[in-house]
Amino acid sequence: MKFKCEKELLEKTFSLARRATPNRSGTNPVLAGLYVELKKNKLVVLGSDLDLTIRIELTVGGEEDGKVVIPGALLSDIIRVLEEGQISFETKEDEIQINNGKSEFNLRTLPVDEFPKFEEPGGNEATINTKSLSNAFEQVVKAASMDDARPILTGVLLAAEEEGLRLVATDSYRMAIRDIPGTEILSRDELVLVPSRALDVVKRILNEDKELTVVLGEKEAVFKIGNINIVTRLIEGEFPNYKGLIPEKNKNKLIINREETLAALQRVKLLAREATPIRLSMTDKKIELLAIEQDIGQATETIDGNYSGEEITVAFNPDYLIDGLEVISTEEVSLETTDALKPAILKGLNEENFLYLLMPVRVS
Amino acid sequence: MTTPILHVDMDAFFASVELLRHPELEGKPVVVGGSGSRGVVAAASYEARSYGIYSAMSSRRARRLCKDLVFISGDYEFYVEISERIMNILRRFTPLVEPLSLDEAFLDVGGVRRVHGEPKSIAHKIRNSIYEEEGLRCSVGASVNKFLAKLSSENAKPKVGPKGPIYGDGVFLLNESEIGTFLEPLAVNAMWGVGPKTHKKLNALGIETIGELGRVSEGSLVSSLGKATGQQLWRLARGIDDRNVLVDQEAKSIGHEETFSKDLIKREDVERELVRLVDSVVWRLRKSKKKCRTISLKVRYSDFSTFSRSHTSSEPTWSSSVLLEEAKRLLDDVDLNHGIRLLGVSVTNLDKNFVEQLRFSEDSYSDRENTEGVVELIRDRFGAASIGPASILGSSGIRVKRKGEQQWGPDHDSTVE
Repeated sequence: MKFKCEKELLEKTFSLARRATPNRSGTNPVLAGLYVELKKNKLVVLGSDLDLTIRIELTVGGEEDGKVVIPGALLSDIIRVLEEGQISFETKEDEIQINNGKSEFNLRTLPVDEFPKFEEPGGNEATINTKSLSNAFEQVVKAASMDDARPILTGVLLAAEEEGLRLVATDSYRMAIRDIPGTEILSRDELVLVPSRALDVVKRILNEDKELTVVLGEKEAVFKIGNINIVTRLIEGEFPNYKGLIPEKNKNKLIINREETLAALQRVKLLAREATPIRLSMTDKKIELLAIEQDIGQATETIDGNYSGEEITVAFNPDYLIDGLEVISTEEVSLETTDALKPAILKGLNEENFLYLLMPVRVS
Repeated sequence: MTTPILHVDMDAFFASVELLRHPELEGKPVVVGGSGSRGVVAAASYEARSYGIYSAMSSRRARRLCKDLVFISGDYEFYVEISERIMNILRRFTPLVEPLSLDEAFLDVGGVRRVHGEPKSIAHKIRNSIYEEEGLRCSVGASVNKFLAKLSSENAKPKVGPKGPIYGDGVFLLNESEIGTFLEPLAVNAMWGVGPKTHKKLNALGIETIGELGRVSEGSLVSSLGKATGQQLWRLARGIDDRNVLVDQEAKSIGHEETFSKDLIKREDVERELVRLVDSVVWRLRKSKKKCRTISLKVRYSDFSTFSRSHTSSEPTWSSSVLLEEAKRLLDDVDLNHGIRLLGVSVTNLDKNFVEQLRFSEDSYSDRENTEGVVELIRDRFGAASIGPASILGSSGIRVKRKGEQQWGPDHDSTVE
């Protein structure tokens, strides 16, 4: 195999494909590599951990066809530090030579036959505009669980609702629900559970292109954006009944400025390390944030707001509250509560398409 | 400054404690440890030491050295109890007591001179009190800092004679003016921070004693040992150590491991041992009033290769069922075909802070923890073996694991029930 390509394009390609390579060396060491195949001027780069596969196609100056598996982390690090300009790749027996005229790296390659065969699953195909999607993914992906011990919650639920597509994610402490009216990629009442890790990758590249094609297969889904295909295994199992968790009515409603509250939280959080919650006390006269760190001290902050309801104090994990406030786009937000132990609802004022539910922290 | 730091080190602690319970063994060579073919010696009485037996030696070798050797399997809980009583005696002299392990502690007596006298006389008072109240002997080193105090207590230890211990007065005082001559002949691996690796590197540089180490330049130590170790050893070799005596050092991890008399191969056997290990770790976790976020599983295969995996969750817990589920999941990554010689479970990221992040779903950790809290109450009242998971029920009742049990290898070479 022999080809030439600009550094900038390769850097982007390899660092993206590398997102699919496993974090720790598992049973199949070849997966730590990126599969690179050249046919004429077409280069295909693949990274995969069997659950998630990222496939990128690009045009390069090809000289000699071939395929090879190159250690992914090293490859992407090398390309990143090379100077701007053309980089040439050439295989020499079981090594690949990377050269830009000044620097030369020779890397031992991995057994190409052991790299899993990649087959793109078929299924219903739908193309959607990515403008609203990018923001929607941003809003829900973070609420999904990172804990592999609860596989179902590491996914984002895609559900067909009457008005369009709905995305839901929860780690059982908070939940994000986003509606995208007018978008249809599922048939009615259909549900799929997509690993949030895959959507996080999709989210990263959505800004660059305008159209996203989604192919839903039986066990896999493909997200196609331009020359990039992201193939992910779907999560099997039943997503919790999230609808039953949304409180019908909340007695107390607080309206606050989003950015001011975020800034206040960041300040008070200096005295809420690790698991320490922040207490939010609300009366119709005063809204106050309080953090108490045993043996260290405490921080309080008064925030301007409009409150209607009974006098209560509810404690929250500040990070969960911040995560919610950060993904809302309106200037004013409302926080509705029932009592100190029931879920609270955070949403943008007059914003009906996004809901962020969070459970309080019990403080004795 | 004078010599305000004391290092108190119990003499052959586990073995001496056992001799108190078994006066008939007085004067005989006794070791605490696992007597089985895979056991190790955890502590040896001075009589046993005169045969050349020392702790960490394999039980098989110890038996070869002395065929009349008496083996006592460890009773960790009992040692903890005695240790706590000893630490409380120490705290009568100063609140600045830093326990290093069950049988060692540092004391800073610099501030209590008016009340209790000079360090040397405090050292003698401590020895007398511990002997009068608990019937146990200890050695005390007194010097200007922790490093020197610890080396000093070594000098205060009874000597191993052919017929048992030869006791001195059990106190060694190292004054500032004597530091140089004291350190000069000592082997470098007597120093805190010199493990086998560093020892080898130092030997390669031609350094065998602390005196020789003290004559090497700081720069060349740093270049061969790295900045942290190099600088630290350079300072220690000059008798410089500014670590304070730290009170209330909280445990950072709680764990148990067990060596089996026969390698485990079947997953169900491994799981049963996991149940016991988790059960015992949780018992100690609850006793320390802490919850954990991380659980680690350690496996040693029959070829001695060791493997470990851990899992951290966002929510602290002390529920044995939650932790057992996680331990079993970690076991999925373990290749069981090789035969497992040792299994260990430990928990870290310990937290005393009991705020509870509520969940949407009904099945919160707290429900399980409350149920298991009842189990704990029953055990406190009726004993550890009164109630437990069904899978650890053997022909002779519930086989509860407690720290110390089989820690130094199994006593019998029998198979698992």
